[in-house]
Amino acid sequence: MIKQELKNIDELRILREPVEGEMLVNMGPQHPSTHGVLNFLLVTDGEVMHRAVPHIGYLHRGIEKLAEQTEYAGFMPFTDRIDYLAAMAANQAYAMAVEKLAGYVVPERAEFLRVIACELNRIASHLVATGSMAMDIGAVTPFIHWIREREYINEITEELCGSRLTYNYCRIGGVSHDLPATLAGKILLWLDHFEPIIDEFDRLITHNEIFVHRLADVCAISAQNATGYGLVGPNLRASGVDWDLRRDKPYSVYDRFDFNIVLGKGFRGAVGDSYDRFVVRVLEMRESCKILRQALVALPAGEIRSKVPRVIKPPVGETYAAVEAPRGELGYYVVSDGVSSKPYRVKIRTGSFTAMSIIESLSKGVMIADLVAIIGSLDVVAPEVDR
Amino acid sequence: MQYFTNIKRSMMSVLEGMAVTFSWLFRRPYTVQWPDKIPEPLEKTLPATYRGLLEVDTRICTACLACEKACPIEVIAIEVDRNSETKERHIVRFDVDAAKCMYCGLCVEQCPTDAIHHTTLFAATTPDIGDLVLTFIKPGERALPFKPKDAPPAAIERGAITQALLDSRRGVE
Repeated sequence: MIKQELKNIDELRILREPVEGEMLVNMGPQHPSTHGVLNFLLVTDGEVMHRAVPHIGYLHRGIEKLAEQTEYAGFMPFTDRIDYLAAMAANQAYAMAVEKLAGYVVPERAEFLRVIACELNRIASHLVATGSMAMDIGAVTPFIHWIREREYINEITEELCGSRLTYNYCRIGGVSHDLPATLAGKILLWLDHFEPIIDEFDRLITHNEIFVHRLADVCAISAQNATGYGLVGPNLRASGVDWDLRRDKPYSVYDRFDFNIVLGKGFRGAVGDSYDRFVVRVLEMRESCKILRQALVALPAGEIRSKVPRVIKPPVGETYAAVEAPRGELGYYVVSDGVSSKPYRVKIRTGSFTAMSIIESLSKGVMIADLVAIIGSLDVVAPEVDR
Repeated sequence: MQYFTNIKRSMMSVLEGMAVTFSWLFRRPYTVQWPDKIPEPLEKTLPATYRGLLEVDTRICTACLACEKACPIEVIAIEVDRNSETKERHIVRFDVDAAKCMYCGLCVEQCPTDAIHHTTLFAATTPDIGDLVLTFIKPGERALPFKPKDAPPAAIERGAITQALLDSRRGVE
């Protein structure tokens, strides 16, 4: 039962004067289980939450506005900072948007390299998502194992593009570095090592009864609710909605690979519960391994960058390009005025923002401890919410 | 009855998890005792593509200012002094603010002679943030821009210039 209805943001003030039987608890911004700097205002009655109001803006850096001050090519390093766990997808989406706007063609090898880098990054991102979710629930060991695996990916990307986190790998019209044959062998070796490790991870945590009972049937999102709130990516697929940009709106060279779209089936409880969202991510890592193997075999020879003028001035127009990032659709809407070498406007659409907006409706009537499961399973990354 | 089955299954999965953890006792550890217990310093084992601290070899800099233009956050400051009579150009300032730099590598790509490049150096801690402005041309010094026709000077080891700069700031002999 909700005793206070919140109609607009000014009424947050009223929340601070609790009515009888309700208590206001601040969770965050420095709470260890809120990924990043997030603040939740919890209106609770004992352990039961009546409402959890997410407060965003702690990590707002004005990246969209910065885009208007920097040149098209110079904005690329800023896109790394949108989502620090999956910088490659943000790179690729921005490069795709500008290429579409200016009409540049990307060499085939560069497209394959982008796919390889993105899928490696997707695995790395899901490793952190599933590992930190297990840690939020109270299982610390899987997280350590996953961080070890992520370390291998970091070393691969370090050799590929020179950086471990802020890759800045894509360029407008291609990629920055070629993939040496030795590194391709290294990736294959790592895949051979990694796939059995997923089985081990399943034994360690995914099929752990205590973990399953903790998450099954917690905060199930129906397919209708998921589409209504605009959830994207693994969160949407866990609710049983069959939608993946890699297959449904094929960009880059994804239409040449054979992979399955993992859907939530109610593995141990209702469809779309926290456990489904967890399992979908684990299974997606296996699919990414499949794509990586195919891409490394089919990698064509050739150029990695097409000829692009040093100062890019796209013609007047606007465009939208989106990729399937680990946290769902990540899109750039870029407007060019045709005269300047800087974008007129850049709007970024990210998956974490919509995932954040559903928390308020999900949190009615659940326990405070379950909020941690919601945030963990929705895989919210704070800088992606605020930008 | 369900109650006892649950307890049994929970116990089994705890044991299963412990078995996985136990098996790691007999595998090779991945951890490295950095920095004192590795055979070589990390700077030497990092891949050549690693984007560490920037280094400028002023002997082969052509003063084309391409890197300065490519930098999205104005980290690089170059001043070229042009004598109006003799038409001779001199580089009088080449500063790279390593504290502000985000190591994106856009400047390195634009350089025609590879004068500005990344090193594998990363440890640059100083007590004063101002020390991190790497002055590749010392105040008062004047360097002649490199002409691509000329024979290139002898190569120096990558990272030597930046390392020397950092050492002089820290007072290392």
